[in-house]
Formats: sequence, structure tokens, C-alpha cells
Amino acid sequence: MSERIKTARYPKLEHFSEPNVITTTADFIFSWARSHSVFPFTYGLACCAIEMLTSGFARYDIARYGMEVFRPTPRQCDLMIVAGTVNEKMAPVLKRLYDQMSEPKWVISMGACATSGGPFYDGYNVVNGVDKVVPVDVYIPGCPPRPEALFQGLLELQGKIQQYKFVPEKPAPLAADAPASDVAPATADAAPAGEV
Amino acid sequence: MGLQVGSNPMSMDAIAALLAERFAGDLEDVRIQEPDTIVARCAREKLLDVAARLKADADAGYETLNWIAGVDRRTSFESIYHLYSWKTNTWFELRVDVPRAEPEVDTVTGVWPAADWHERESWDMVGIVYVGHPDLRRILLKDDFVGHPLRKDYVDLAENHPHV
Amino acid sequence: MYDQFESPEPDEAVKLALRRIEESTARGEGSDVDGLAFNEVVVNMGPQHPSTHGVLRLVVTLDGELVKDVIPVIGYLHRCKEKLAEKRTYFQYIPIVDRTEYLASINCEWAYVMTVEKLAGMQVTRRAEFIRVITGELMRIASHLVAVGTFTADLSPLGTAMVFYMFRDREVILDLMEELTGARMMFNYYRFGGVRYDLPDGWTSKCRDFLKMFPAKIKEYEALVDTNAVFLQRTQGKGVITQQDVVDYGITGPNARASGVDLDLRRSRPYSVYPELDFEVVTAQHGDIFDRYRCRMDEMRESLRIIEQCLDMLPKGPVQLGSLRAPYVITPPPGSAYVGQENPRGEYGTYIESDGSRYPYRLKFRDPCFCNLQLFPKILSGVKIADAVAISGSIDLVLGGIDR
Repeated sequence: MSERIKTARYPKLEHFSEPNVITTTADFIFSWARSHSVFPFTYGLACCAIEMLTSGFARYDIARYGMEVFRPTPRQCDLMIVAGTVNEKMAPVLKRLYDQMSEPKWVISMGACATSGGPFYDGYNVVNGVDKVVPVDVYIPGCPPRPEALFQGLLELQGKIQQYKFVPEKPAPLAADAPASDVAPATADAAPAGEV
Repeated sequence: MGLQVGSNPMSMDAIAALLAERFAGDLEDVRIQEPDTIVARCAREKLLDVAARLKADADAGYETLNWIAGVDRRTSFESIYHLYSWKTNTWFELRVDVPRAEPEVDTVTGVWPAADWHERESWDMVGIVYVGHPDLRRILLKDDFVGHPLRKDYVDLAENHPHV
Repeated sequence: MYDQFESPEPDEAVKLALRRIEESTARGEGSDVDGLAFNEVVVNMGPQHPSTHGVLRLVVTLDGELVKDVIPVIGYLHRCKEKLAEKRTYFQYIPIVDRTEYLASINCEWAYVMTVEKLAGMQVTRRAEFIRVITGELMRIASHLVAVGTFTADLSPLGTAMVFYMFRDREVILDLMEELTGARMMFNYYRFGGVRYDLPDGWTSKCRDFLKMFPAKIKEYEALVDTNAVFLQRTQGKGVITQQDVVDYGITGPNARASGVDLDLRRSRPYSVYPELDFEVVTAQHGDIFDRYRCRMDEMRESLRIIEQCLDMLPKGPVQLGSLRAPYVITPPPGSAYVGQENPRGEYGTYIESDGSRYPYRLKFRDPCFCNLQLFPKILSGVKIADAVAISGSIDLVLGGIDR
């Protein structure tokens, strides 16, 4: 490969002596971009919100991970970090805001209260865990979790985002003796459009 | 200038004697709780009158309401008013017994505007109805919550927990 | 469940706002525009909103940009603390008190611990009293940093460097507290009769380094905003709290002191070793937003003075009653007590009734922000919506205490 580049007819500059073409998969490129530029949603409810806020500022800099763009509106966010206790009055609001986020979206449950009710688990008004209201991707324990713990959770989430397949796999061709379905069978090399 | 703290300092005994004299018959069981609080009881029919006179008192006017708490005493309820006097820099705890079968007591929002939210919270948590309150609705719990949680016989109802 | 594009059913607060519009229209204050019955629009701010500092919901009735009426709706963080007190022993409840006013949690612990000590008739060791004052004042500075920082962040969304600088310096305080107590925010440090840990080696010199470093930082913050024409225009003369408001609504803390009321519980109802310390109560004249900001900045300076005096006067001795550890299970005699303490936001107190058992019979929090929030409908009416945001930021609310 590098022989061909060396003998090709173009001006020889030093940096052209190395391969400068990257080959990768669409999956990798999309998930790399998505995981390194997550827009979190400012959903701080209680004390954990202060630690989330602190992790955005100078000492624990969340901008290192590309996540400093906290948007207050759910329409512009990918990630909802539920930081704090969810109670029965807040749960419908939470669900509504989750529904207003567009796909793909992820939820991090930050702190003991959002994970399982925390120190208030036996309160009459406390929902024992935000996963009773929305699906959660990463749980971060702590009361409140240190900013470093929040970052570990964010890195786990980045790992999870990088496992997404954005280009769906081709469906396998039907076996010869498979029962006929009432929809037209897809041909073997038609790629379905749309994302997962 | 303006509002001053402790412009008419008096000893606790002097204040207790003053109140016992001016409110004889209306305030029962006036006693001093160290170091700077007077505690007294009052019948619920006389609450509005006593409250207005306590606020307007020339020597020890209790002009500020600090908080109102509702307490469930199992056989009855109690509404506790904690007042502050700027002139003497002392506090006053007024306790009013409210029968359990008919948990109503007059509102003091006409006397102290701060009572608005405190009484709403007491209604929300304990269930004492403050008659004459401008807007007595739930403040901390959701609007369709059933029951009053700080009562001793409160049982956690399933209908209050749609998200189990 | 519901269609996300449909408006939800109006709840009580919104119905109240609509009823008030109907009443004012019926009184003849409707619209002066042909074809419109009334000019007002009911807009919901919160409970998730960048400027409401927590899950506060404001149902705002707007006429163009003018705020006609505000109905605060709270309870979105109600965590049943007063009921939980009846199921936890006095000792088990200390971490839960931490989580009421979470920005200055050690002051909340202080009020609770003082009340239980008063109920049980316990003394506090002298060294522990000084350590309590030092930690209380350190957290007062940290809390004011967050309060003023987020307030300036409200005025121009994160466009000001002030909040970044303030949080950077808050980290120094949290480092000190972490070395002492083991935690950054929820300390669980005070015990009945003392504190849990003694000062580690070298802590006092680190604290003195902080005291030397910090006054220059306060000057740095003031240099950023004090002469800024836009800041002055947005904050001077707006959101005035009168002295009558202070009396009527029970406003305490810097909000009251900015109106010229000399009310500081460390002076008027002294507790701990404050009678032996020399500090000034910071007041201002006008009671507007700028004065509240100035009060908080000057209070940070006074706190530095207090900490320095305590470090100089720190006696030797045990930090807990008893030989090994503070008592785990205490059963105060039947009775009741209320102790109020000067929280960075005002008078924070706990009223505890004991029936002689290990669990409190009734515990009630007197929260300063709950009382301060009652003032919102009054001071936010008749201002533009941008001023409403500035005013609500300057009152310094922490929803954990309001909702408990």
C-alpha cells in the first residue's frame, strides 16, 4: 500500500509518506461521534444536582468528555441524568420530559435516591427508584456520588453507546421449506432502511 | 433605623407576669421555657381574639409568626403557633387543642399574613381545617393525595402510589 | 398513558390562576384591545427549569412581559422527612437532616443536634463547640458561593466567569471538610454532645492558608460584577423587600438584613460560643437585589474573621462526651424544644417533641426558604419576567428545605 503511494504521481510531502485513509465501519463512526458528544439534560432534582453541577465546573471538568453542553430543554438532549429523589408528584413530570426527548436517548440514574429510593425509601411519597418510571441505562450509587463516580458512570454509558448498531444487520434469507408468510418476503440483498 | 431588635428588653418573669395579667382567663398555663420562650395554652374559640391582642400588645407585641405546626396527639390534635416579639426579643409558643372529631380552628391569616402557607401545610400533613383560610389546598403533596400522612393512624394507601 | 403533544389537565394551581383572571376580567380590568376578553397568559415555569434553582414550579400570569401574578407550587421534592423522623432513632436521623438544606448541610445538623441536646439536657465539650463554629462558618462561605454564583449565572446564562471562579474556590472548602469529616456534602459529622472526629494533623494550618488566600478571591469576584453597568441596572432598585414584609412574613437571614433589619440569631439568640466572638452583623439599607448580593459577600468576610478567632482560641480537650464515642441511643425525657439557628438562608430550626422513647414523637422543621418563598407573589407582581428571574435567584432558595 505505501509502495503505491510512494510511486503515485503527486507532490511528495513528508506526511504523505504514511497512509492517510481511515477505514472503519459506519457503526463505529456513528457510535464514536454519539458517545463523545452527549448532550445531558439538566434534570437535577435534589442534592445530587449540586454534585452534577460541580462536575461541570473547573476542577472536575465534564467538558473533557464532551458533555458540557447541558441543555435545559429535553428536545435538544440525548442523556437525562436523574439526580435526586423522584416522588409521586414529580414522576408524571419526569415521564413527560422523557417522552419529549428524541431517540436515541439514555438515562443515568445518579445517586441512591434515583436508584432505589435511597435513605427515604420508606416514605409515603417517594418512588423507590426512577426505573419504575423510565428505563435506566446506568446506575450510579452514592449519596451523593462524587464527581469522579459520575464520570465513571458516564464512561460506562459511553461504552454502552459504542455497542449500538446503527446500521441494522441484513435479515437472513428464508429457508426453502419455511411457511409462506402473508407479507412479501424480503429478498436476500435488500438492506432495510432506517436506524435501530 | 426602623425595625429594631430588643427595643424594650424585659426579663422573662416580667413578661410572664404581664401576659398573665393582661390575658387572665384567656391564656391558660403560662410558663417559661428556658431561656427565652413563654408557653401557654388557649381555647380554640378564643384564638382569634388572643392572637390579635398578642400582636397588638404595646409592651411585647408578638408581630411575627415563626411557624405553625399541627400535631396529632392521638386523642386530639394540637395546633402550635410560634411567635416572635421584636420589642422584647423573646418567643411565645401558643398551643391550641383541636378535637379530633371536628378538627376545625380559626385561621390567623388575618392577623399574621405568614400563616397562609404554614396553615396549608398543617392541613396537608395533619388534616386540621383552618376555617376562613383564603386558599386551603394541598401544598406539599399532590392534589389528589388521599389522607393526611402525619396522623398517627395513617396507613400508606395503594392509590397514593401509582408508581410502585 | 397520554399524548405527549396534548396539554395536561390543568391542576389546582393553574385553575386558581385562571379563576383569578376571570375575576379580574369580571371586575372590569380586562383587555383594552378590541376583541380580546383579557390580555393575560398563564405560563408554567418549572418544575424543571434552569433558573428556578431546584424543582420549584411557578405558575406565572403574564401580560406581555409583565408578571401579573405568581403562584408557587412546591412539593416536587417532598421526601416525607417529618414522618421518617418517627421511624428513625435520634441518632439515625442525623444524616437525614443533612439532606434538607443540602448546600449548608452542617448548619442543619447543628440545629437538630442542638435541639436534641436541649431536650436531653446534654452539654457540649468546649473544643467541639469551637469546631462546630469553624465548620459552620466554612459551610456558610461555601453556601454563599453557590448562592451568589448561581444568581449571577441566572442573570446571564453561564456567560459569567463568576460562577466558575466561585465553584473553584468552593472546592478548597470542600477539601478541608472532606479531610475532616470524610464527605464532600453530607457530612454526618455532629454528634450529641460533640462532633465525631477531632481535627487531623495539619488541618488548622491548611485552614489558615485558606483564610489567607480567600479575601483576595472575594475582591476578584467583586471586580467582575460590582462596577458592571448591566449588573447594576438589573439589580439596583428591583425586588425590594420592605421592613413590613420582614415582620409580616417572617423573613430572616441576608434577605432581612439587606432591608436594614438587624436580625442575626448569632447575636439576638446566641448559641454555642458566639457570645465570645467578635463579629459584625452585616446590614444594608435598600433591600433590593444588589443589597442582598452585597450582604452575602460581606458575610463571607465576617465568616473569615470568625474562623480566624476560633482557630486562635481553640482549646484542647475531648471532642465528645463520654470516654469512647457519643451515645448511639438516647431517650430524652418527655417534653418539647425548639432551637433556631442562623443558617446561611435565615432561621433554620427544629421543633422536636419527645415522649420518652427512642424515636421522636413529632419533628417539625422551621425552614427559612419556606417562609421566604411566601413572599414571591408579592414581590414578583408587577415586574418584568427578566426581573422576576433575577429576584427569585437573589432570594436564594433551596428546595430540599422548602419541601423537606
